[in-house]
Amino acid sequence: MTTVLKTEDLRKRFGELTAVDDVSIEIDDDKITSIIGPNGAGKTTFYNLLTGVLQPTSGSIWLRSEGGGELADVTDAEPHEVAQAGLSRSYQITNIFEGLTVRENVRVARISHEGTRLDFRSRATADESVEADIEELLDLTGLTDIADTPCDTLSHGEKRTVEIALALAIEPNVFLLDEPTAGMNPTEVTEIVSLIRELDADLDATFVVTEHNMDVVTDISDRIVVLAEGAILADGSPEDVLTDERVTEAYLGSDSV
Amino acid sequence: MSATDTGGRVSRFGSAVAEGWTRERFGLIGALVLVLVAFAPPFQVYLFTDFLVVALFALGFNLLYGYTGLLSFGHGLFYAGGAYGIAIVLRDLGPVIADVVGAGISPLVTFLVGGVVGLVLVVAVAVPVGWLSVRLEEIYFALITLAFGMLGYSLIIQDPAGLTNGTDGVIVLLGTVDLGGVSLRVGGRRIYYAISAVTVVAATYGVWRVVNSPFGTVCKAIRESPDRAVALGIDVGHHRWMTFIVSAAVVGVAGVLRAGLASVASPGLTHWSTSAIAVIATVIGGATYFYGPIVGAFIFLYIRWAISRFPALEAYWELFFGALLIAVVLFFKQGAVGGLMLIRDRLVGDDADEPSDDDARTTDGDGS
Repeated sequence: MTTVLKTEDLRKRFGELTAVDDVSIEIDDDKITSIIGPNGAGKTTFYNLLTGVLQPTSGSIWLRSEGGGELADVTDAEPHEVAQAGLSRSYQITNIFEGLTVRENVRVARISHEGTRLDFRSRATADESVEADIEELLDLTGLTDIADTPCDTLSHGEKRTVEIALALAIEPNVFLLDEPTAGMNPTEVTEIVSLIRELDADLDATFVVTEHNMDVVTDISDRIVVLAEGAILADGSPEDVLTDERVTEAYLGSDSV
Repeated sequence: MSATDTGGRVSRFGSAVAEGWTRERFGLIGALVLVLVAFAPPFQVYLFTDFLVVALFALGFNLLYGYTGLLSFGHGLFYAGGAYGIAIVLRDLGPVIADVVGAGISPLVTFLVGGVVGLVLVVAVAVPVGWLSVRLEEIYFALITLAFGMLGYSLIIQDPAGLTNGTDGVIVLLGTVDLGGVSLRVGGRRIYYAISAVTVVAATYGVWRVVNSPFGTVCKAIRESPDRAVALGIDVGHHRWMTFIVSAAVVGVAGVLRAGLASVASPGLTHWSTSAIAVIATVIGGATYFYGPIVGAFIFLYIRWAISRFPALEAYWELFFGALLIAVVLFFKQGAVGGLMLIRDRLVGDDADEPSDDDARTTDGDGS
């Protein structure tokens, strides 16, 4: 067991509101960790702090670099630097390159990962090892059949899968999945959950999930962290957390579940 | 049954046409047209050169607009930069260069030196202007580039350094190359057409390579979703800046050619109304297609020419273009090239998407 992501007393204030309140957490590489909480609990702000989109008011964020090096301080890193350092995310509201094909979407991520984005002389499709990596990832995520389809013509479920493939294409150490089942029908939910399981087993990346669907949460999580009003309310195995009275109260106390 | 038959036949005809339009044939026809134009009447040669220059102007602009998603209203600044760069070199360094290389060949050498100087000048301006501009997006980007363009306009007119000759601009005299028995007037319609055609074709190929490179692929991703690109580790601000510079450089080359064609580098080149020509040509042609700006420039210049042949209409040509632009924006968001693609798809049939028994068409091999 290794800690791949760590926050220390992470705090974010917006004026009078403390959206994230001294959150200290260590994410371990041998578990799927779910971060849940009622709406307004600070999950989105927490993700935006982790990915560098927002700067914390105080506290620090540490990320283990590729290949199991030391934890590095990424508190002040730019969002693209955080991604380069090994933290990747998917979006609750699908955010993919709609006008490009599935394959082109993944290619963009691979170009970023390979560090060849300033190469304006070669053909984008010329690097055979990159193309092979793309094929492999498409195969892994089950997107091979629709590889050359423009994304704006895909179904919602397919777009959600592209969302995941994109985030994985940069070979992250930590993969934050933001509501992976958002807007999905029950069949699609089953498919994406089994995909997440497979990917977690196949890849080195450590998965961190936020999710509204409690069945999914209990199904895939080894550990659940509950946020309420910006602070950690409970942290432990699904059995412990979901029977915790304070958790039930936090959820019942809001009408947003 | 007969209706289906006819449909099938039309579809097969369409397929045959579509399959005939391979890149090689397009290239061959294009090359043939370029050669044939050289033998047209002088005014037609001039008009076609004008078209090529505006096409390159729009093509460079579209690298930033259609490919990266940033609408610049100030690319006239780089058009003017190229034009003034060569004009000033021709005026001030022409005699010096003639002393060094000899009077016979000097007009050509001066032209080349001027072109390089124009390009360097444009890049030198684009580096800081781009660095400041790419911090903004959408309407704010359009406005700051517009402001930079007009700033250039004021500077050229005020002429604090005594280089640009104010509102009159700098006269461009290309001179005559004299190689013993053979003498060629560089500014002659046909010679200048040849120079422009070679330059524009080479630059177009360069832009084509750029958009199909890893660099260009990342540009397209940024156009589609900048924050997603960031989340994949792409420094979007830096990439936009680099694209801005490349785009400006291409426009600068067009500006160099413009100066020779118009025989003057004038302040109007960096006026917003000149920047708007690139925008209009691109929108009419179709910003999402590589050849969109070229087709748009063709439509723009040849319709303007056609209107100019009717003196009664000529005063209203801008009105006509306004109407055309409104029609394109409302009904053909993909521009003329998009419209042509639609017609081609109709002719070929929709079987590209649905498997059919039609053996006249194979969908293999038209992947990315």
